[in-house]
Amino acid sequence: MGGCNVKIKTITSILVVSLIFILVACGTSDKSKVSSSNENGKKTLRVVTNAAYAPFVYMDKGEIVGFDVEFISAVAKEAGYDVKVEHVGWEPLFVEVKGKTADIGIGAITINDERKQTYDFSAAYFLSVNEILVPEGSPIKSATDLKDKVVAVSNGTTGQSAIESLYGKNNSKLKKFKDNNLAIMELKKGGADAVVADNTVVEEYVKNNPKDNLMVIADDTAFDKEFYGILFAKDSKLKDEFDQALKKMLDNGEYANLYEKWFDYKPDLEGLKE
Amino acid sequence: MIEVKNLKKSFGNHVVLKDINVMVKPKEVVVVIGPSGSGKSTFLRCINLLETITGGQVLIEGVDITDKKTNINSVRMEVGMVFQQFNLFPHKTVIENIMLAPTKVRKVSAEKARDKGMELLKKVGLTEKANAYPDSLSGGQKQRVAIARSLAMTPKIMLFDEPTSALDPEMVGEVLEVMKQLAKEGMTMVVVTHEMGFAKEVGDRVIFMDDGLVVEKNIPRELFDNPQQERTKSFLSKIL
Amino acid sequence: MLDFRWDLLAEYGPFFVKGTVLTIGLSIAGILIGTVFGLLIGLGKMMKNKYFSLPAKWYIAFFRGTPFMVQILLIHFAVIPPIFGGTNSIAAAIVALSLNSAAYIAEIFRAGIQSIDRGQMEASRSLGMNHMQSMVYVILPQAVKRMIPPLGNQFIVLIKDSSLAALVAAPELMYWGQVMQGQYYRVWEPYLAVAAIYLVLTLSLSFLLSRLESRLSTE
Repeated sequence: MGGCNVKIKTITSILVVSLIFILVACGTSDKSKVSSSNENGKKTLRVVTNAAYAPFVYMDKGEIVGFDVEFISAVAKEAGYDVKVEHVGWEPLFVEVKGKTADIGIGAITINDERKQTYDFSAAYFLSVNEILVPEGSPIKSATDLKDKVVAVSNGTTGQSAIESLYGKNNSKLKKFKDNNLAIMELKKGGADAVVADNTVVEEYVKNNPKDNLMVIADDTAFDKEFYGILFAKDSKLKDEFDQALKKMLDNGEYANLYEKWFDYKPDLEGLKE
Repeated sequence: MIEVKNLKKSFGNHVVLKDINVMVKPKEVVVVIGPSGSGKSTFLRCINLLETITGGQVLIEGVDITDKKTNINSVRMEVGMVFQQFNLFPHKTVIENIMLAPTKVRKVSAEKARDKGMELLKKVGLTEKANAYPDSLSGGQKQRVAIARSLAMTPKIMLFDEPTSALDPEMVGEVLEVMKQLAKEGMTMVVVTHEMGFAKEVGDRVIFMDDGLVVEKNIPRELFDNPQQERTKSFLSKIL
Repeated sequence: MLDFRWDLLAEYGPFFVKGTVLTIGLSIAGILIGTVFGLLIGLGKMMKNKYFSLPAKWYIAFFRGTPFMVQILLIHFAVIPPIFGGTNSIAAAIVALSLNSAAYIAEIFRAGIQSIDRGQMEASRSLGMNHMQSMVYVILPQAVKRMIPPLGNQFIVLIKDSSLAALVAAPELMYWGQVMQGQYYRVWEPYLAVAAIYLVLTLSLSFLLSRLESRLSTE
């Protein structure tokens, strides 16, 4: 009997300890609160993101950083809000914005008509052009050469929609990966003839990995411009306030400063205002 | 028929058989008795190499089964064994249990094996159970089927390892009856048992083992009525 | 949950059908190859010869002890390309599922055989049957019956694990769920639909296995 009691006690204490761990872990994320007011009367908005898309939003030693993070703080400040950015993952981002447990979603989210059926987007805050990544010496010279070629993309990105608008939705030559890294690996291993992705992504990659002997092809005529927007729930009151704040930032040069801090070139402001 | 010379067996550091020398002549029934842990079951299992032998020799009809060149399977075909726990194959019917080895090992046709099997079932009084599964049989019936299964290989020697120890008392008789019948027909048998009545009635010789050694061997009447060794006396006084 | 867009599901219906077909194909291939391979590995592990048993032990340790996601990535990018001269997501998925499940099946197989009473082997050997015959006619038929419930469990895990093939863009069921999610940024329509289909698949398999089990036990 004594041995039995000891066993029960051990099991109970293990259970209690693990429960405490779980509670502590949950307590730190505290997802349930949406917007809240702080002492100087400013409302703090809950911004959710998927911190896995450098340089827009990613984790740097546990901190969420990136162009989008600084941009959303700046534009929110302009609109009179504080923000708290949280990494929740890609799918949960949409669940939270749609379910209004978060005020804003951000993270290189492309505006398109299909998504507008469910969400509101701010005016465009980033112009993205797709480019083609191919091995050096590839016969592919432009987007028209991609016909009947196997193209790897990151699922749900502008690169995917660019190819689909050219060669049909969900065609079998299109391989959709969970992220751009996997798509580029597929290219390197010969499983795809080209990768189509945001210019920032492919140029960054080629710059950082010269040994891979990959090169970038731009094709302005073939690829439509893609715009990133701030994601709101349908009929969110925040949309107008943020649109005005964004317009102000574009006009007073604050946006351009931020852009140049993160990217090596100047923004195409005219293209953005279209 | 069976010649055991200087047989030694140990499990790791634990010595079970120290030095066993036994001869069994054709048609002889040898009964092995002794306290539990004396090594009598191990001794029996060494005779058909269910235990690997540590030292010494076992010859069956002049063939040294400890020799690596000996095909142990062909030796076992001639040496039947009946276990305390019956070890019938539960996924096969009674008749299939009996037919399996003859058809697979002796390559007897299924038809012949069945005929022979039915004959053996008749001998052990279980013809009506031919198509039953072992689970539906009583312990005594199971053991009679197990005996029939061994006999189906027409062995020259039968080994019995405490064949009645797992049985309810009222079923012991039916199994012993079959064994007596076998002995009468001239089967060479080595029987490990606690049934002293059987030993007296059927045994040609009785071997008393204790502590890994053969302490005493004699014809039953002599051994039971006039034991020479102290250990034999004390064992017999406890069980009789 | 109020605004569930059935129209979007209808649009993606044909893709889910295609994906389901591939998921079934991957699962069947994984189950068959994994079972055969698992039996061999299980036998290898039970051998007294160290040259067989040690590699089998390592194999099982590796495939049970590392995340399946990493295995499928490794196989897709490092194992398949040298063989096929390029990547092949379907081949990678089949190989990964087979190799991974083989490790579990090997253990199920070993446990099944070792659960059979020693007396069965002894009785069989004492009748003159050799080790192989004893295995085939006495031990395995009994062990197989005991292996069916854990095998069924393993097969269900395998069906669900096949969804990780989406990671390397094998166009199976989960892949199309993710594609639909990426297009509309809606989460519940694709994933609940996909989950429902997986449930149907696993329930069907459970049903088949329970039929098989009851048939074997009445025999």
